[in-house]
Amino acid sequence: MELRQPSSAEEAVGLLGNGHVALAGGTEIVPLLRDGLLRADALIDIRRAVPRGIHGTTIGAGTTLAELEVDPGIPVVLREACRLAASPQLRAMGSIGGNLLQATRCWYWRLDFPCYLHGGDRCHAKDGRHDEHAIFGNDVCASAHPSDVAAALLALGTMLRTTARELPLAELYRLPTTDDPQTTTLADDELILELEVPIPEASVYLKAMDRQRWSFPIVGVAAARTAGEVRLGLAGVAPVPWTLTSVDDLDRATPLPGTAYKLPIARALVARALRAVATG
Amino acid sequence: MNGHRYAVDVPVGTSLAAVLRDELGLTGTKVACNEGHCGACTVQVDGVPRLSCITLVHTVEGEVTTIEGLRDHPLVESFVRADATQCGFCTPGQIVSAAALVAVSPAPTRDEIRHGMAGNLCRCGTYPKIEEAILHWRD
Repeated sequence: MELRQPSSAEEAVGLLGNGHVALAGGTEIVPLLRDGLLRADALIDIRRAVPRGIHGTTIGAGTTLAELEVDPGIPVVLREACRLAASPQLRAMGSIGGNLLQATRCWYWRLDFPCYLHGGDRCHAKDGRHDEHAIFGNDVCASAHPSDVAAALLALGTMLRTTARELPLAELYRLPTTDDPQTTTLADDELILELEVPIPEASVYLKAMDRQRWSFPIVGVAAARTAGEVRLGLAGVAPVPWTLTSVDDLDRATPLPGTAYKLPIARALVARALRAVATG
Repeated sequence: MNGHRYAVDVPVGTSLAAVLRDELGLTGTKVACNEGHCGACTVQVDGVPRLSCITLVHTVEGEVTTIEGLRDHPLVESFVRADATQCGFCTPGQIVSAAALVAVSPAPTRDEIRHGMAGNLCRCGTYPKIEEAILHWRD
């Protein structure tokens, strides 16, 4: 395997694709490579090619979760999502751009079962163990997206700038289908460069975990009130980060037998979050 | 690293932990889960705790501090006084994380300790004693 360290985004884009994989903090890519879930002929270390740091409402995609967690200019919902996302070591290593692109924690996927996401013809979780899985968007794949940070950024109405385009964060994601397992719309040779994060009047992130210190979300609920309008973003409930337009959307959930317990948790956290941003 | 410079020749994809242990003989850094969950392999890079098992050595830039570089840190004695080890396997990573914590926050509260040490698992369950060791590290 080869390692390249381009010094600009243009140079990086020229190197990516065709088995050349971008590497930033490495907290996701290195374990996936080691487990054989990702193959790379070359690693493209993008840390010099992608902006890092916070300038007003603009966040460089290379900024670490640890840097965001302690910055008083960052909205509470995002700081809290970063604080609760992972261990101190992982938060010091992982970038916000990489966090948005992390793969599912579905154990069948992680164990390389031939599921839809691996190009197979079924979702093994639906017929098997799926208590950490989805309650929305689970027609095809029942996995749950683990990003607390993405839920927070959805609630904030974040825009992304990539090497190819500008887009609302929600458009970064797509539900996998039986003929296309992709969960993002990012091209192999496209990099997220910056995030534009509006400052809300009030915001909050509430996270149910199976233990008190860092763990992936059972349900994560982000709420932000911006210009009088409240947005909700959820983690751990669908194969992609999930937006609710109102609390009534919870009535349209499609829980599996093993994930039905998540629905009352989501209801409780959404109600609490809405109360918090109504007054905060 | 630890105030010294070393030249090593390893293939791309080799972890920092593997270089420490297999190339340099610095076996104080432990590898347990080898996938970035447990914290046994924690080292500091420029004072910030990182997981050396999922850090590719070719991407490291900065001063690496391992448990061998913290031999004379008061935390070592404090862990002994508090009896904060049982099997001892996680202890090097615990001390490396704790040293980074007290460097930033010399008088950490219990909550700061629990937040700052959350990435270091101890399967013997010595957490209360680790907390005591860090609370009283300068005594």
